[in-house]
Amino acid sequence: MLFQDYEKGDFFDEMFASDDGDVFPHYHPLYQRFQSLEKEQFQERQQRIDDTFLKNGITFTVYGDKDGTERIFPFDLIPRVIPDREWRVVQDGLTQRIIALNLFLHDIYHEQRILKDGVVPRDIVETAAHYRPEMQNVNVPRDIYIHVCGTDLIRDRDGNYLVLEDNGRCPSGVSYLLENREAMKRAFPRLYSGMNVRPVDAYPELLLKTIQHLSPRQSQTPVCVLLTPGVYNSAYFEHTFLARQMGIQIVEGRDLVAIDGYVYMRTIRGLVQVDVIYRRIDDDFIDPKVFRPDSVLGVPGLIDAYLRGNVALANAVGTGVADDKVTYCYVPEIIRYYLDQDPILDNVRTYLGWKPDDQKYMLENLESLVIKAANESGGYGMLMGPSSTAEERSIFAAKIKANPRNYIGQPVISLSRHPTVCGDTIEGRHVDLRPFVLYGEDVRIIPGGLTRVALRKGSLVVNSSQGGGSKDTWVLYQ
Amino acid sequence: MLSRVAESLFWLSRYIERAENLARLVDVNREHLLDSHRQGQSNPTEAWRPVLQATCADAAYDAILEDSEPPPDAGRFITLENRYPDSIRQCIANARENARMVRDQISEEMWLELNAVHLLLQSSEAEALWASDAPEFYNRIIDFSLLFQGLTDATVVHDEGWQFMQIGKFLERADKTSRILDILTFWHEPDRYHCSTVLSSCSAFSAFRAEFRGEATLQNVAAFLLFSQAFPRSVRSCLRQVDNALHAVSGVPAGTFSNEAERLTGSLLARINFSGVDEVFGRGLHVYIDELQQHLNDIGQRLYETYVLLPSALRNVTRADGTQHMWQYNQQQ
Repeated sequence: MLFQDYEKGDFFDEMFASDDGDVFPHYHPLYQRFQSLEKEQFQERQQRIDDTFLKNGITFTVYGDKDGTERIFPFDLIPRVIPDREWRVVQDGLTQRIIALNLFLHDIYHEQRILKDGVVPRDIVETAAHYRPEMQNVNVPRDIYIHVCGTDLIRDRDGNYLVLEDNGRCPSGVSYLLENREAMKRAFPRLYSGMNVRPVDAYPELLLKTIQHLSPRQSQTPVCVLLTPGVYNSAYFEHTFLARQMGIQIVEGRDLVAIDGYVYMRTIRGLVQVDVIYRRIDDDFIDPKVFRPDSVLGVPGLIDAYLRGNVALANAVGTGVADDKVTYCYVPEIIRYYLDQDPILDNVRTYLGWKPDDQKYMLENLESLVIKAANESGGYGMLMGPSSTAEERSIFAAKIKANPRNYIGQPVISLSRHPTVCGDTIEGRHVDLRPFVLYGEDVRIIPGGLTRVALRKGSLVVNSSQGGGSKDTWVLYQ
Repeated sequence: MLSRVAESLFWLSRYIERAENLARLVDVNREHLLDSHRQGQSNPTEAWRPVLQATCADAAYDAILEDSEPPPDAGRFITLENRYPDSIRQCIANARENARMVRDQISEEMWLELNAVHLLLQSSEAEALWASDAPEFYNRIIDFSLLFQGLTDATVVHDEGWQFMQIGKFLERADKTSRILDILTFWHEPDRYHCSTVLSSCSAFSAFRAEFRGEATLQNVAAFLLFSQAFPRSVRSCLRQVDNALHAVSGVPAGTFSNEAERLTGSLLARINFSGVDEVFGRGLHVYIDELQQHLNDIGQRLYETYVLLPSALRNVTRADGTQHMWQYNQQQ
């Protein structure tokens, strides 16, 4: 009887097709199973899963919390279901996108045809915070830049999938996706197997293949490592999880040393040469000799070894220019330019601070827009117009005027909602979807992705650092 | 195996052994103090003084003593005080921090047990349990440690990493056994009551009875805790284990050495093997134990230099010094 009092509201609901309680066909078995549960049975399962997550240390650290408290990433027991025909479109759209972004990165760091042809303004690229002139005319292994991409998708009022942003540097969250699936299989084994859900457990193996593909020493089994900022990083659990699943070493910067253009790890038997580094450290911190000199997390000399082709990095250095929020606006043009195709997945309408007309519109409509800093992530540095105060708006107006290149505006998209457990009741909460795209020998996307849910009533911000939770995502075979 | 991983495994197991020894020591001392009127000992803080000294907690304890009235419970201090970096609670937190860094190297079972005891100690339940039933509290810690050691033996590959865990455990155990024995030098003439407290603190009471069949005198207790061939907490037994593990890592035959840690361990073991209680008391028990502890510290230091700091060629390559800025860790996408 869980859905008895559910209100669909004036939103696109993932599960309910109408106000009268009609459920989309792909949700039918799930609806029936959950309707048959008593509230207490349901809460007991939820509690058991939360306990398991805490016991297993499936936690993240909240920055700014002085005790460095670890919390579990709140998990919601009602999975999101995506039918096959929807997923095919998403999959094709993401594949198209990552191929175009890689062609773009190659071009930017070589001939710069797209700039010369005036499709993307040169200024935009050269002022992007993550543009790396050091990469000019460098041939990266296999000519792939973004090996792992986490693209954030949302659905609008009509249920259309839109791309909100591309995360092409060090996207995180895939470990939660895998753990969520394990939890759901334990909690609802029969429902799960009855619904013909596509498995996701191949991810670590696919990721390993993706990075092994880059090894400069193909004659032997490549030595791959995962480079982490360390135990205090909020995604540290994910780093150990992936390293363990792939069977590779997890290393910190201090475990590596670069000598004469090669990178080695320090072992109790001496130095061992490293071929591929799956790095979860941003460009800025990876080599104090080339980027931030105050970095204590990186490896001095690593970039030298990289440029000489003696060690591969995934993702490549300099990919941040492609996931810059201003570059984002041009991705549809980028797709048309390199692939001569129409984009399969649309962007969200975006206003650019540096375009005078757009800026004017942004300043006049702050109350109805979301304003984002071009290079921030994790839900930091943004203004949610409708819920902002006059003071916050004036601060952002000043910021936009002072640094127009760094700000974009987007209409507030009424994200789709999904039935979600909220205390004693089930209510609609806004969700997005982050699929993980791997680009090795070919493009592989594990079915679904991490569905993030804004647990606060009415909130549109799904980031874990801002009160977000997650759900398992079930892509069906039919 | 990464040097950092070897170091973390060493400390992981060393901190757990430390917590277990502290738990036993404090528990036994609490129980014996219940009979303290018989000893004419009325000041509770002074009655804890030998234990505070043996655990190197006296300076930290005195520091908070000045502004606390009534004086804080010394047993609680060693057990749960956050301001004492070697309290049982802190030892477990440190062990768990090291375990997080090497989660891919230890078994799921080991992680779950360690994380569970850590969560317990961080919760309010821990204080409540300690206040209402201290013996049960200490039992839990000791049981956890023994379970963890069992899991270490039964659920991970006995490779180099396992050997480093052995070295950490037995170095710590040798150190703690000698410190607990040192408590007896606190009194001018320790009596039967003092001697049996020390034996119980090393879980050695019945073992001692079986081997000596005689009186628990200072001489007998010292001989047993230092030299027993078969008792697994004696200094000799522990050193033999350290020696074995070191040779298992380096692969050189027993009785020879390939690095300073091995040389120091071998020479200390030889000294213990070929001396006896007469030499100990000839030098004075306290002096002898002091030298022993210095020697144990040197072994730990050389081990670190050999396997973690690495060959001399690399010494000059700077290592991060632990003062990393937090904001650098904060990258996330």
